[in-house]
Amino acid sequence: MEDLWSMALQGLKIWLYLLVAFIMAPAMFGFSLGISEVYMSILVKTLEWATLKIQKASRDETTLKESASNGLIQRNDSSLEKEFEELRRSRPKPPVGGDFTLSDCFYFYRGGIESIVDDEVTQRFTSEELVLWNLLTRTNNHFQYISAKLTLVYGLGVIVRYCILAPLRITLATIGLTWLVIGTSAVGLLPDWRIKYWLSEWVHVMCYRICARGLSATIHYHNKENRPKKGGICVANHTSPIDIVILCNDGCYAMVGQIHGGLMGVVQRAMVRSCPHVWFERAEMKDRHLVAKRLRDHVSDKTKLPILIFPEGTCVNNTSVMMFKKGSFELGGPIYPVAIKYDPKFGDAFWNSSKYSMVQYLLRMMTSWALVLNVWYLPAMHQQEGENAVQFANRVKAAIATQGGLVDLQWDGGLKRGKVKDSFKEQQQKQFSSMVVGDDSSNSD
Amino acid sequence: MGASQCSQTHPQKYKQYEDFADRTGFSLEQINNLHKRFRQLSDNTETISRENLENIPALANNPLRKQIIGAFFDKRNQHEEEVGSIQEIGFQQFLMVMSHFRPPGLKMTEEEKEAMRKEKLRFLFNMHDTDNDGTITVDEYRKVVEELMSNNDIGQEAAKAIADAAMLEVASINMPHMGPDDFYEGITFEHFEQILKGLEMESRMNVRFLDVDTSTMRCGKGK
Repeated sequence: MEDLWSMALQGLKIWLYLLVAFIMAPAMFGFSLGISEVYMSILVKTLEWATLKIQKASRDETTLKESASNGLIQRNDSSLEKEFEELRRSRPKPPVGGDFTLSDCFYFYRGGIESIVDDEVTQRFTSEELVLWNLLTRTNNHFQYISAKLTLVYGLGVIVRYCILAPLRITLATIGLTWLVIGTSAVGLLPDWRIKYWLSEWVHVMCYRICARGLSATIHYHNKENRPKKGGICVANHTSPIDIVILCNDGCYAMVGQIHGGLMGVVQRAMVRSCPHVWFERAEMKDRHLVAKRLRDHVSDKTKLPILIFPEGTCVNNTSVMMFKKGSFELGGPIYPVAIKYDPKFGDAFWNSSKYSMVQYLLRMMTSWALVLNVWYLPAMHQQEGENAVQFANRVKAAIATQGGLVDLQWDGGLKRGKVKDSFKEQQQKQFSSMVVGDDSSNSD
Repeated sequence: MGASQCSQTHPQKYKQYEDFADRTGFSLEQINNLHKRFRQLSDNTETISRENLENIPALANNPLRKQIIGAFFDKRNQHEEEVGSIQEIGFQQFLMVMSHFRPPGLKMTEEEKEAMRKEKLRFLFNMHDTDNDGTITVDEYRKVVEELMSNNDIGQEAAKAIADAAMLEVASINMPHMGPDDFYEGITFEHFEQILKGLEMESRMNVRFLDVDTSTMRCGKGK
């Protein structure tokens, strides 16, 4: 019994030393040993092999038939006016004045059925459908037995993911968070010298790097010269809470958010000791002016770190960018847009908050193969003369969507939970009624 | 085309789909795709309620959404002899309603095309005839006009005027010998067919369902 314990302890010690040497030290000092690259190439080869197996089994003629959206129908892209001209032309002129008949409704009936069959918004809040299979049952809806070899590889994958990778990642994540709390509190105790800022940045980045290793995240940063500078506002598209870890891996930002209780609260309070973040009490969040004022003060102080904001307001499944809320674009500082695009081959990073809780989501992340993503820093944008906040927001959104290869949608991310505003509904009604009544008045004698 | 794929993966689903295909005329791929859409709309349950359809944002902009949603829950559109409305529909009923919007097949005879056209007209008629008495009365007609226009802009009197004028037109086409004091009951199905006789329905009442099954797509070798 004693031997068993001492052996276990020895094993644990070795495990920890290995961890520190191979993962934490590089993380702390920012160099890479190349282990993850090897891991990635092995992974890609295995996944390609698995996919080919499936293809052979189902005897498909394989040609690349990828569709950008899950299109179920082919739509007519004509506008309201064009359709109506056609409708009016194709029926005989009525003897009596009045230009409205039942056939005018056809345009709306067909449009309505088309929306029921396939609409742009609902599909953005479910996970993306993959063309390859990445050996995770969660992404393949038609999983069935194909061959012994494939199942063996899949089983091996499960063992590797759950028994080797997951505990490793959980350990790393815990270490990372603990170190963050301790480190920032320690730095907070120092008086206000120059070195304090430098140390606080270093502690933050180091801890986020450890957390990123804890998720096996391979991040490719592009255009680093456009990185957000002090006194600016950084905006990005939002896919999951992990976006924060990703962005903070490469620079220090001031976060904006609500103070939570529990573990999150402890982390938040520790972080604010070493450098100023903008945390709000729950009651303060409702007061828009107060929020705007605090953010504006932060932005105008050029020594403070750039704020990180996600203007979509909610997590979207990384195939599109939804409406940006205009609040962050009214603050006055320069905007640094950042586009984040996850590679779905290795793991699905979208957080479907109605389906999974935060803990479930983190466990899912830690048991997927890896997280590969691209981050593009775009050049700074300023609000131009005669441009209001909404137009500015749309301009930034279009830039991010183009860079990340995402679809640029006008819809509000809040539609995940709520309904369309009445003002939008009435627009179509007004358009139609002006057409009918306008014609009527010109026809009546 | 891929039907064999479907049958390999889920044999009992395939039987059900075959049954649906016979009844509604959709192909197996289309039924598969529509089933996925059904699950999306129904939040992965077996039935869709009115709220599920009302939550579609693109539909919210449509002024006739109430009629369209109502058509899904109307028993008359299920091609059985029942009337009334139901609270929730399953996939089969969903498909039956969708089948009204299929375009005519290339190999259809004239009779089949006529029958299909009549079916579509019947569907439209049911949408307007909300109390199911076989006629579209002035009130029912006026309701449609009001929904189409926004009430703020033209007011209820103008809507009534437009509806009355349109009804008058229908009456003059169908019952030319009506005296000035005769009361026009309402548009019956025959009159309805008469009004829309000249109208080319084939391109207006169709939704072009694609045959492509998105989930079984695989990457080929190389790009």
